[in-house]
Formats: sequence, C-alpha cells, structure tokens
Amino acid sequence: MKIRQHVALLVAIGILIAACGDDDDSETGTADEGGGGGASGETVTIESGDDMSSILLPKCLGIAVFDQANEGAQEAAGELGTSEPEFLGPATCEDPTGQIDTMTNAGTQGVDAVMISNNAGEQIQSGVDSAVDAGVSVVSWDSPIPSGEGESLFVAQVDFDETGVVMADMAIDIMGEDGGELAILSASPDAANQNAWIDAFETALQDPQYASIELVDTVYGNDDADESYNQALGLVDSHPDLELIMAPTTVGIAAAAKAMTDEGLCDTVKVSGLGLPDEMREYTESGCAPEFALWSFVDLGYLTYYVTYGLVTGQLDASEGQAFVAGRMGEYTIETDPTRDQGLRIVMGPFTVYTAENIDQA
Amino acid sequence: MPEALRTRTWELLLAAVLVATVVYNATQSPVYLDVDNFVNLFHLSIEKVIVAIAMTFVIVNGEIDLSVASVMAFAAAVLASLHEGGAVPFAVAIVIALAAATGAGLLQGFIVAKTGLPSLVVTLAGLIAFRGAARVLVEDRSVGDFPDWFRSLGRDEILGPLPFAVILFFVGLVVGGIVLHRSTFGRVVYVIGDNPEVARYSGIDVARVKLTLFGLSGFVAGVAGVLFAARLGSVRANIAEGFELDIITMVLLGGVSIFGGSGSLLGVALSIFVVLNIRNGLGLANVEASVQTGVIGALLILSVLAQNLVDRALALSQHLQDKRGTT
Repeated sequence: MKIRQHVALLVAIGILIAACGDDDDSETGTADEGGGGGASGETVTIESGDDMSSILLPKCLGIAVFDQANEGAQEAAGELGTSEPEFLGPATCEDPTGQIDTMTNAGTQGVDAVMISNNAGEQIQSGVDSAVDAGVSVVSWDSPIPSGEGESLFVAQVDFDETGVVMADMAIDIMGEDGGELAILSASPDAANQNAWIDAFETALQDPQYASIELVDTVYGNDDADESYNQALGLVDSHPDLELIMAPTTVGIAAAAKAMTDEGLCDTVKVSGLGLPDEMREYTESGCAPEFALWSFVDLGYLTYYVTYGLVTGQLDASEGQAFVAGRMGEYTIETDPTRDQGLRIVMGPFTVYTAENIDQA
Repeated sequence: MPEALRTRTWELLLAAVLVATVVYNATQSPVYLDVDNFVNLFHLSIEKVIVAIAMTFVIVNGEIDLSVASVMAFAAAVLASLHEGGAVPFAVAIVIALAAATGAGLLQGFIVAKTGLPSLVVTLAGLIAFRGAARVLVEDRSVGDFPDWFRSLGRDEILGPLPFAVILFFVGLVVGGIVLHRSTFGRVVYVIGDNPEVARYSGIDVARVKLTLFGLSGFVAGVAGVLFAARLGSVRANIAEGFELDIITMVLLGGVSIFGGSGSLLGVALSIFVVLNIRNGLGLANVEASVQTGVIGALLILSVLAQNLVDRALALSQHLQDKRGTT
C-alpha cells in the first residue's frame, strides 16, 4: 500500500528531526586520580592535565549574568585544556523541575561534574542524590543546595551576611536618616541565595542605625521581566508611602527601575539592589536607581570551573582550610559555610557598589 | 470495521516509531539502555503520564479536560496548606486533598452534563479557577517540610528499581485498558463519544457517564498532584503549569480522535513511550528543553497529517472494494 509507505516515511522524518543536534557525544569521565595536594596545609595551584566533562546549569537560560558566568567557565576550560562545559538550563526560571531533569540525566550520562546555580530549593535534592550516586561531582555557585548534602562545595559570590549589610547601607543612603517604607522584590521563593539575602537583610535592619526603615512587603517576580515589572507596580499600589524597592536580583531591579521610570514615579519611589551595570546605567544616571551593587559573574563562572576541575582531578579534596590558587583569580581558602547548617564554601567577592560617579567605568 | 482498522494501523506505526527511537538512542548514548535510565525516564514525567490515562477516557468520550494541571496544583496546595496549618494528620490531609480534586472534577462534570456547555469552555474556566484557588492557598510561597515517609514515597524505589508512582502508572495502564476495552462501561464510553444522540436514544444515561469520567479525571489529577508534591518535596502555586498541553499531546499522538469515539489505550501507552524516549534521548544528548518541546510539537503536527493520510488511504481502499463488489 503506497500511502502507508508515505506515512511511515513521514514518521521516520519526524524521528530524524527529533534525533538531530545529537552530534557531540559527551565523553564519559576519565579523570579521577591525579596529583593531589590534599589538605596538608600547603597551597595547591590548580594545574591542567586530565580532561573533564561537565555541565554548567544556570537557574534558567536567557539571563545576562548567567551568560557571563558561562563566558568565564569557557575561558577557564580553555586555560585548562578541557572539553567545553555544556551550558544547559530550563527555558524559564519559573519552573524548577527542568533543573531536576538535567541533574538526574547528568548522573545517567556519567559526566564528571555539574555546576549548578540552584533554583529548585530543596526540590533539587532527588536529582543531586542520583547524580552523586552515579559518581558526579556537584558544585554549586551563585545559589547553593540548602541542605549542603551531595554538594562538594559552594562557590559564593560574596558573603551572604555581608549582602544584607550592603543592601541596608544602600537603603539608608538613598532614603536618608529619616528612613521610610521599603519593600523587597525577589526572584523565586525557591531560590536559596535570594532567601538567604532577604534573611540577612532583615537581620541587618535590626541594627539601631537602620531603625527608621520599615520593611513592609516581600514579593516575587520569578526572574521574569514582565512579572517583576507588574509586581513592582503592584507594590506601589498597595503601599502608597513606599519609598524604596530593594531587588536583590538583576532581572528584578532592572524591571522595577523601568516600571518606576515608565510611570514617572522615580521622584517618590527609588530602586536599589543587585544589578548589572549595563542594564542599570540609564536608571542610575537618571537618579531612579541611585545605588546598586554586584560582583563579576564572569569571574564567578571562571572560579567555579577551576574549583570544580581541582575537585574532579583530585587536586582538591573539599576539606576545610584547604588553600589553592585558581588561575588569574589568585588564592582562596575553603571554609565552612556559616550561612547554612552544613556545607563548605569559598567566598569570591568583592562587592562593587555602583553610583552615578563610577557607573561609566563599569 | 474501519474504526478498529484505523486504530490498529496507528498502533503499528507508533510501535515502529518507538522501535526506531529506542534503536537510535541506544546507538547514540551508551547509557541509554541502563535500567536506571529507563526508570528515570518515566519517573521524571510520571505525573503527566498518570493523568494521560484518565484523559484518554475523557477524550474518547468526546470531551476534553483542560483543568487537569490546575487541579494537580490545587490538590497539592490543599495538601500543603493543611500540612502547614497542622490541624489534621498528614494522611488525613492527603485524603482531603484527593477529595477536593475529585470534587473539582465532579463540579465541572456536573456543569458539562447538566447544562450541555462544551467541556472546552467549562474546563478552561476550571483551569483558571483552580489555579487561582491554589494561589490563594499557598500564595507565592514555597511550602514544604513534609514528613519523611511522604518524601520517600515520591523518591525511593519500593519494588526492584521502581518507585511507587511508576508502579502506579503501570497498574493504572492495565486496569484502564481492561475497563476501556473489555467492560460494558468502556463500551458505553465509546458509544457516547461516537454519537451521544444515538447513545441517549439507546437508553444510556449519558449525563451520569460524563459525570463519572470528569470525577475520575479530577481524582487522578489529584493523585498526580500529591505524587508531584512528594517527588518535589515542596509545593508552589505554579507547579505543573502548562502540563495539560503535554498530556493532551500524548493522548492525541496516541491516535485518539479529538472528536471522540475512537482510539485505544494501547496507542496512548505507545505514544507515551515514544514521547518520553525522545525527550530522554534529546536530554542525554544535551539538547535544550525548549528545543525538545519543539520536536514534540513537530511530531504532533506530523501525526495529525499522518492520521489524515491513513484515513484517506482506508477510505480509498474501501471505495475500491465497494466498486469491485458492485460490478
């Protein structure tokens, strides 16, 4: 029957389309042993040698800072002469299950390491467990695994408690000594870093020098520009005396600044938080977002890749007190993470606070 | 009987596609054929495929239920907020959550059966309303801290390498297959889907069957929502958002006619295997999730075209036979 053959052909084409894009076989893990400094006290310089197959897993794709982190990781991979890390992530930050899928598949694929900015909170645990069971090294960066379980260590961009103080300082600077009402616009309620920063910010605000500041609300824009924009406008509606929106997310702060600018509200409501200079320049110059802070995401991706490579090749063993040199970034020391019940971290730093004075140099 | 022939042809096609997918994936990734990978492949989408079983009944019956993903979130949100409130033991909270989801299904079924409004409209309203209810219950927080036994129910293997939800899916598939294809009730579901007027005149209580099916759909969505909460370990109001499209895609790709009255659960099972294997293969090949979705979409379009071709081929051969018969 001729037509039936056509049908079969059509379906076969469908399968072919489905299977395309599957050209580079991920090399299964080779590197295991290798020169090791161990925690013997001396500083380990991470050196190239073995290959490493890895996945860089951001909260979601399409966000500038994560692209920058990928840039840094690729740079490090070039220096260390390894295969390029696969940059894979969910299409939107709204749905954390994509991260669980990628993490679980990583275990099946047998890659050497996954570097994750966790957007799934505790939900990521099942994926991490099956990856670790399969011998994958899991390193978190930007946003950690809350329990610390399964994760080798966390590459913290800055000290999370310090983040709270930096935000409190910016708030009092912008609002003045007489303070006023302030609201937080966060990313997603499952983002461990966001929650830690909000906690640290609330703790910092307890200090008498910030007594005049009143935190009236916390809302979530899920790192989606539209949603964050609407949430920012919603804050203004529900809190007529609002003076400042503090958004510890680059998507949120840019959306809030745009919303205030579009609605002509910048004279009464200012915006601050953690932002990308490129996305914030016009708002800082206009005075709508007079101050914000950030660190380099390129450096964060670079450092994360070096540390992960050190762990996978056995040059580092993720123990407290171990010091090492990571390429152009210099020396770091592994320490226990005081912001979580268990887990190790290294702190990259530093914070840069951007104002109209220095934004041109960024 | 051309309807049965059409279904058989479709099942054969899907089986061929499945074999091709499996063979291709196996040659592309050395780990694809691992038992653990096959379990993962089901486990990572298990809530959707469980709901697809009930959706098959609804669509064969000539209706559609767009509210399933919202009802999943609604059930999970009821569970989470009861757990948070702490007034009832967790097991009781699960029962209440399942009852709430069943109630959601029955309510929509009642409106469809009694007013004759199209289920497309009624369940579209349900999609919005029950998602809204979930948002009211847990707001934009993430509610978790479930008991250990519940989390382990969502994650741990209980029979060989199989977690609870995966076992439940296969049991549901067998039971669903028997009910749909071997029982009087299943026969009635087809008859109504084929022609509700004829069914009514033959003395079938059409309204009651529809009510039962929507209640079933709500209940199964509730089970899936609770299982999703167990697997994730915490609940947000936006969980399972957009799942209804994936679920309906699997059913239609399985050869079930959107107009009701035809298709088989075997076809749907095959289509589920095809979709999951393609997704898994693409995932192992590090293809982005959005591209995977595009591929599945393309497959659905091709399947609709292919179904059309099969229909025309069958009509043609019928026509030729008739001609031969008359001359």
